[in-house]
Amino acid sequence: MLALRDVDVYIQASHILRKVSLEAAPGELVCLVGRNGAGKTTTLRAVMGYLRPAGGTITLAGQPIGGLPTHAIAARGVGYAPEESAVFGDLTVAENIELPTWTRPGGRPAAERVARAYDVFPRLRGFATRGGTQLSGGERKMLSIARALALDPALLLLDEPFEGLSPAIIPQLGESIAAIARLGPAIVLAASNIHHVPVYASRLYVIERGEIVFAGLPQDLRGRPDLARIVGQAL
Amino acid sequence: MLFLVAAGLQLVFGVQKILNLACGSFYALGAYAGVSAVRAALAAGLPAPLFFPVLLGAGLALAVIGPAIERLLRPIYDRDESFQLLLTFALVLMFEDVIRFVWGTAPHQLGNVYLTYGQVRVGALTVPTYNLVVIACGAAIAAGMGWFLARTRFGRIVRATAENREMAEAMGVDMARVYSRVFTLGVALGTVGGALVIPATAAVNEMGIDLIVEAFAVVVIGGLGSMRGAFAGALIVGVVKAVAIATWPEVEMLAIYVIVIAVLVLRPAGLFARATA
Repeated sequence: MLALRDVDVYIQASHILRKVSLEAAPGELVCLVGRNGAGKTTTLRAVMGYLRPAGGTITLAGQPIGGLPTHAIAARGVGYAPEESAVFGDLTVAENIELPTWTRPGGRPAAERVARAYDVFPRLRGFATRGGTQLSGGERKMLSIARALALDPALLLLDEPFEGLSPAIIPQLGESIAAIARLGPAIVLAASNIHHVPVYASRLYVIERGEIVFAGLPQDLRGRPDLARIVGQAL
Repeated sequence: MLFLVAAGLQLVFGVQKILNLACGSFYALGAYAGVSAVRAALAAGLPAPLFFPVLLGAGLALAVIGPAIERLLRPIYDRDESFQLLLTFALVLMFEDVIRFVWGTAPHQLGNVYLTYGQVRVGALTVPTYNLVVIACGAAIAAGMGWFLARTRFGRIVRATAENREMAEAMGVDMARVYSRVFTLGVALGTVGGALVIPATAAVNEMGIDLIVEAFAVVVIGGLGSMRGAFAGALIVGVVKAVAIATWPEVEMLAIYVIVIAVLVLRPAGLFARATA
């Protein structure tokens, strides 16, 4: 579904991503793990078209998408839930979820897409008429992911979905993400802590200073004590 | 009518984050186009009472310049405000020259056409019915804008875009199209405002610049980016002006600035500033 090959990204004069290669097939949940500032968000933003790669290729379902405007990438079925959630506070919860069905019509019927989003996050149903500003941090994360899901994505980019949440809410959100994974889109999940990587992750990439330093199965990390300090202890 | 121009300014600033000085020029252009359109219509034998739809039509038709102007402004969206002010002020000067070239420097008036609707007595005052029509029209446009922003899909997309452009793009919103339409709507508010006001006054070249000052006063009082603020601010400025002219004409502009300063000191974000998430 998604493939990055040797992607280089500069922000002004800083070389942020160095030859990043990464793949996510349909139905796969791929995790991108690294410390803050390692380049996780930059990788996702490059896929989303906010940043233009200086080198390398980004393809979606075999089609190059590097250099396309962001809205065109969204129109091809890439859903994005940023770390800061970026819920539209001026709209209600229901309007937030419905918005992508207006901007990307076609595919599944709008009602089904909205229903799927609520099925995955049943808690949001009770808040449908609330404004986006009247939500807790965890609810905003849920809404942000639900909104991306209502885009009917073939690829879902989740940036730090568990960051800053109370431990009580994390298992609940983890189950929701598992439910989304069963619906079939490819998912790329960025996390700064290995503990947040779901056990069912298909593959793991560790990024450090803009470079992919490990690619493989989560259990393969065990033999790599050098990576422990990057991704968190207790391997 | 100040409300219309201020609403246009608000809408464009809220969504596109550019301060458009040229909104005053759209107002002036609307006024001149209104004069010409009504004269042509009357010369063509149109009955005088139909001048109102002609004015509305002239204002709306002029909004076609919106997409072209928006295209011109596109390179400065991400620039410093000083660039925006410079470029839009350049537009103001250019439009002034266009008006001078097409309509000359003499004021243009429509005479007493607006009295064809008669006059009504409100208490001790005699008011031309047309003025009431204009007020009703402004209120209707205000209500229409409110409905459009709150209830329509495009209005919701516009609000989402105003709040977080990047995220709206990630949701598949094509910014170029939204900007072009929003800007055109802002232009239409200005040109219709100018066209509607013209029967009761004269079209003069300075009206654009004069209005910008007042529109900015409205925006400062009401709060930048707020539609309700534009409405309330326009009412305040309008009433203060009217009272000042009736009681102590010398302080007309001063009174407005006193309010502006008071608002800036007491509520720097404006009376109806939106709480940001």
